[in-house]
Amino acid sequence: MITLFAHAGGLIGRSDLPIPEWLFGWAAAIVLVISFVALAVLWPEPRLERARWRPLPGLLGRVPASRPVEILCGAIGVALLGLVIYAGLRGTQSPAANFAPTFVFVLFWIGLVPVSVIFGDVFRAFNPWRAVGRAVGWAAGRVVRNGLPAPLQYPERLGHWPAAVGVFAFAVLELVISGGDKPETVAIATLVYSALTFVAMALYGVEAWSARGETYSVYFNLFSRISPFETRDRVLGLRPPLSGLAHLKAGAGTAPLLAVMLGSVTFDGAGEAPLWTGIAPDLSKFFENLGLSPQPAFEMAFLVGLTAAVLLVYGFYRLGVAGARSVGGGFDAATLSRAFALSLVPIALAYVMAHYFTYLLFRGQAIGFLVSDPLGDGSDLFGTATKQIDYGLIGATATWYWQVAFVVLGHAAGLTLAHDRALALYDDAKLAVRSQYWMLAVMVGFTSLALWLLSQANT
Amino acid sequence: MYFAHAGHWLTSIAYFVPVLAFLVWLGVTHIKDRRNRSGG
Repeated sequence: MITLFAHAGGLIGRSDLPIPEWLFGWAAAIVLVISFVALAVLWPEPRLERARWRPLPGLLGRVPASRPVEILCGAIGVALLGLVIYAGLRGTQSPAANFAPTFVFVLFWIGLVPVSVIFGDVFRAFNPWRAVGRAVGWAAGRVVRNGLPAPLQYPERLGHWPAAVGVFAFAVLELVISGGDKPETVAIATLVYSALTFVAMALYGVEAWSARGETYSVYFNLFSRISPFETRDRVLGLRPPLSGLAHLKAGAGTAPLLAVMLGSVTFDGAGEAPLWTGIAPDLSKFFENLGLSPQPAFEMAFLVGLTAAVLLVYGFYRLGVAGARSVGGGFDAATLSRAFALSLVPIALAYVMAHYFTYLLFRGQAIGFLVSDPLGDGSDLFGTATKQIDYGLIGATATWYWQVAFVVLGHAAGLTLAHDRALALYDDAKLAVRSQYWMLAVMVGFTSLALWLLSQANT
Repeated sequence: MYFAHAGHWLTSIAYFVPVLAFLVWLGVTHIKDRRNRSGG
């Protein structure tokens, strides 16, 4: 889409490399095959499934997860939510000069991903909707004589579907809607999402909705399960990295949610490829012939492209699941799809980091001057309003190597998780390894796709 | 038109050679397994 915040991967030019870029794809595939053989030989029992959590000693473990810190973080989250809405509605409507779009699309949506992977589920503490929901629940409990009625039981069949729909809606705002990065649009979308979230929290309870249905809680929680940090009963502790994913309760909608996460990044990358730029005008023309005016027709074409990318990713994953099922073991496709969904999380991380790496690094710097002038009206609250973005922070070649590293490490982590889960699932270790031939094919496929997308963005 | 841009298309296809090779190998292995099971 022709917006400031789309085409994020294209912020850097083609790199000058000693070998063709596609050879990196071959090398990455070889690394994955070697990793697969090493896992089969050296990893004979499920380790991540049985990993232990150990609390950090003394204040180090108790202070970060304490109630005062949680209240402070929640208040900061609510203040930032208020600032996004206020800046979006009252500030300049130039997306680059307003605090709201850069904060939402860059710092929040992308920047919180590596923060969650390193430090754990940080967003849970800062979640403004959870903070407001808990505060209202606490206040209402004191005012209402017999207490509030118990919330409804969260329906199992809903699972992660609300979060999948939420991530898809975010991708539509970011990649499909013309002017989706307009500050006013961002503010209104935030208000609508806040209203829906509060209604859902009132129905199903703040914690139940935050854990299963609330888009951003679910999204960042998935990434935080890679982290070695986890809070239990208000104590921060350590666990082996990735082991949080081994304890993920995948249910209805978990695999589709991950397909949306991967598919939206895929579409953003493919949006710059000649394959899509060749199809999009014809598709747009098709919708114009159906009676739509040019702009809605263009948006419909992009909606079809985004949906196709999500379905393509999901279809490829289900192909791997069908292959794993064909080796035996007596599991149905739905069980296997849920069982191996965890392996897609590090791949989603690899896609986000590889594709938006330079975007986060460059565009993220804008927050330095936007905090001083959030409305874009010429104010200079902290004396940083004249700061500039330093585009010399990283070169094209270094960026490519970082991107390849993210892709290879993410897919190797996915392979490890799938192998560990297979060992826990199948009684026969040989059958477990054979089932993973197909997951290896999925990993090699997603690796090739990721590097091809990056090469298109670098063109 | 498409042949004029063959270099670009071939480069794009080159990225997917490993996964295509892998899928072919998996398919062949799968068929062999089924034959062995039905034969033995």
